[in-house]
Amino acid sequence: MSTAKTRWVGVDLQDSDDTRMLVEAMEVDNPDVTVRHMPGIVKLQSATELVIKRETVEEKVGRPWETHEFQMNIVSYAGNISEWDDDQIVIKWEH
Amino acid sequence: MAKLSMKERYSLLTRDLDWTPTYVDPKDVYPYTRYEGIKIHDWDAWEDPFRLTIDSYCKYQAEKDKKLYAVIDGFAQGQGHLSVADARYFNSLKLFLQGVTPLEYAAHRHFAYLARHLDGPGARFAALCQSIDELRHCQTEIHTLSQFNKYYGGFHDWSRMHDRVWYLSVPKSFFDDGISAGPFEFLTAISFSFEYFLTNLLFVPFMSGASFNGDLATMTFGFSAQSDESRHMTLGLEVIKFMLEQDEGNVPIIQDWIDKWFWRGYRLLGLVAGMMDYMLPKKVMSWKEAFELYLEEQMLNGLFPDLEFYGVRPPRHVEQAIIEKEYVSHQVYWILYQFSFAAAFNTTVPTDEELDWLSASYPETFDRYYRPLWEKARRIQDGGGRFFFQGLPQLCQTCQIPMGFTEPGNPAEIAQRHSEYKGERFNFCSDGCQWIFDREPEKYVQAWLPVHQIYQGNCGGATVPEVLDWYGIEQGSDNLEYLTSPDKASWDEWHAPAALPGGGK
Amino acid sequence: MGYELRTKVVDPKRNTFTYLVERFGDKPASRYQEASFNIQPVENFHYRPTWDPAHAIYDADYTALKLTDPYSYTDPRQYYYTPYVANAAERYESFAQTLKYIEERRLLDRLPENWHLVVTDFVIPLRHYESGAQLISVNASRFAFGTTVEQPACFAAFDRIGNAQLLSLVGLSIAGGASETLTEAKKNWLYSAALQPLRRMIEELLVERDWAVALIALDFIDSQLYQLLYAHLDDRALYKGAGAYSLLARHFNDWYGGHKKWLRALVKAWANDPDHGDANRTVMAAIADRWYPRASEAVRTIAAGVAEQAGSTSALAAADRSAAETAGELGKIGITVTEGVPV
Repeated sequence: MSTAKTRWVGVDLQDSDDTRMLVEAMEVDNPDVTVRHMPGIVKLQSATELVIKRETVEEKVGRPWETHEFQMNIVSYAGNISEWDDDQIVIKWEH
Repeated sequence: MAKLSMKERYSLLTRDLDWTPTYVDPKDVYPYTRYEGIKIHDWDAWEDPFRLTIDSYCKYQAEKDKKLYAVIDGFAQGQGHLSVADARYFNSLKLFLQGVTPLEYAAHRHFAYLARHLDGPGARFAALCQSIDELRHCQTEIHTLSQFNKYYGGFHDWSRMHDRVWYLSVPKSFFDDGISAGPFEFLTAISFSFEYFLTNLLFVPFMSGASFNGDLATMTFGFSAQSDESRHMTLGLEVIKFMLEQDEGNVPIIQDWIDKWFWRGYRLLGLVAGMMDYMLPKKVMSWKEAFELYLEEQMLNGLFPDLEFYGVRPPRHVEQAIIEKEYVSHQVYWILYQFSFAAAFNTTVPTDEELDWLSASYPETFDRYYRPLWEKARRIQDGGGRFFFQGLPQLCQTCQIPMGFTEPGNPAEIAQRHSEYKGERFNFCSDGCQWIFDREPEKYVQAWLPVHQIYQGNCGGATVPEVLDWYGIEQGSDNLEYLTSPDKASWDEWHAPAALPGGGK
Repeated sequence: MGYELRTKVVDPKRNTFTYLVERFGDKPASRYQEASFNIQPVENFHYRPTWDPAHAIYDADYTALKLTDPYSYTDPRQYYYTPYVANAAERYESFAQTLKYIEERRLLDRLPENWHLVVTDFVIPLRHYESGAQLISVNASRFAFGTTVEQPACFAAFDRIGNAQLLSLVGLSIAGGASETLTEAKKNWLYSAALQPLRRMIEELLVERDWAVALIALDFIDSQLYQLLYAHLDDRALYKGAGAYSLLARHFNDWYGGHKKWLRALVKAWANDPDHGDANRTVMAAIADRWYPRASEAVRTIAAGVAEQAGSTSALAAADRSAAETAGELGKIGITVTEGVPV
């Protein structure tokens, strides 16, 4: 018998103005997310999955936002990009 | 008329451009995708790892480059190189430009091969984007590091050195191995193993090293390149799953490749281990910590349980890498320290603070096996000498690193393995390297081993100065000891207190 | 840090990299030079490709056309990655504005019927031609010898997919965002008689092993095809009240004008190479003998299709003119074209 180790999923974002709003949106849609600020980057982690929803981001940034803009902010990620369509991006482990 | 989804629209703009030729045999258009034994039954099952059309790509990348070059220019104008922690730091950048930048270029060329020769249009397009991304990385690295070339040694002839110099045959042979393999092995080796599995162990030490040591330019390059890397990581994971899902028969072939490329990549990363523990004045983390986080936790505990679903297990020989985390960085840097008379970077004995940090980071091994070496080296130095190895080392036939590695769990015994092929004996540093050779001996016997080549008279002459000249190394400037180097002399001069007003020096 | 720069001058010790000093002298270098010269490995390769053991990983023998010094050729546009994407981004932005304007005024719907047919049956199907052209170009990027030669081929590959995507966007626009026009376009590419000589030539070029032969032969087509569809018909469109056609065509015509520069400069370098110029000219004349007539025929067949189906009275003459003009241009830079030129 063993305790299952937590399999974190995460995303590291560049610490910039645009990212601030993105992080706020992610905090809304991911109640269990932890956010850590380090020099130049913001690290977001979850024990389950991370979701980025276009609608939430648009509310926060106050303008139309396309999911592929996310590429401008991302530094690195841990996990699997399970979905990336018009409305949302989901990062999680599949199996 | 129904509006198309992002996925459908993207498909029309990429894979739908493809057609099946009828005037020539389609097998002749794609001649290289069957000889490895990998079976792809349905390329339509390929999931695009990212959905970026050309116009969006150019828009975002142009924006990124504008920001990056503004920082590079600002840093250069402000003599930013003077604000790094210490001139010792630049040795990590020399290793990067000589060892890593050429690999970006190699990736650019060979993803172009995949962009032409994979017989699935979705995968071809992803490869095309990666090819041009890698050119970006190569060129932004050159431009970022160009300013350091103006003030410090070791940067000035990186490309020729990559072709000729002994320690650089380690990365060069690594990538040549991938390029000379078939397209599916290359995808496993580079897209999956190098760009996903091992990527953080390469990138984080260098880029965080830059950040921690005041190198704003390289750090900014690192962040800028990382957003491309997230596309590459996604491709790597997609590619491996796609191949595994297409045919059960692919699984054992891919498992072998995963095993091979983990070990080859891991041995290559030994250079990074030595760099991060010894070349950075301000340490980011130890190799051991990085290995535990990025390999053991994120990959073995994160990724591989996912891959188990496909019948893949963690790589062969990973247990040895886990054992070696306690000492591989010391073994590698000790080699570099002894041979930096023939290298295009300087080395030096760690300071007392650094020795203490190493003791604390490696409680099982450092004080017992490696501190004594450094203390002895320092005694020699204090007595007016400087220890360099007198002679040429035996190289591992596979990874081409000098055979300074030890038996797993026994840091006091040098590891040696041998295999015979067509009447000739070949030497290896480890079970992993021997296993790689034994699978494909006809390939590895072709290697251009730097030490053999010197002995065969192919490297400029029979004396060290002649060889160094052929290497392109500026003797007394690029090489040898850091403390007596022109780099340090310049650094001290440029950081001396201001001249007194009213004349006098 | 307590250093004081006002009383100390920090002089650079080096102006640039050694490989540039050796070539250009001891002075600062441009970003293009730093990023493009002597980058590709040239010696001491470790293993022969298992997919082509007769060659080395980088090998001047992947083509019959040789340069004594591969770096004697440079891209006249001096493109490395950054200026390339910046320029491309501007082009795509400009096209997007054009398309938006056209869509807002429904100018594609309002094209005269025969012009509409030219677009749907002749132009949009060329998205597949551009896709084939991309494969030829990216093949050159992998197998050319020397960074200054392969780099523009890489950018050309990206451009071609860009062209294919722009044509596809026009197709989507015509169908109001749905896929019907593109589905039809693919059928035309595969089955319409007017396009088969073109498709056949592209397919044969895809199996041509010499990357330079394919690239040159592709340009035989491009030069004539672009002149016919995007220059000649652009003018006619304005004259005939098909403004939308002109607005779109000029983007492709402008693109080709820029693209031509790097490729024709490479042909010149081959033709004038100090050691290999004569041999290269012989090779290029043979390429022209074999492929120029095929290119002319492919373009002429399209012109005949446009004449027959869209009632153009000028297309065939325009095709003949472009065949002659292209041959003339190529003759001036070292490719002797004798076959496939209308008398």
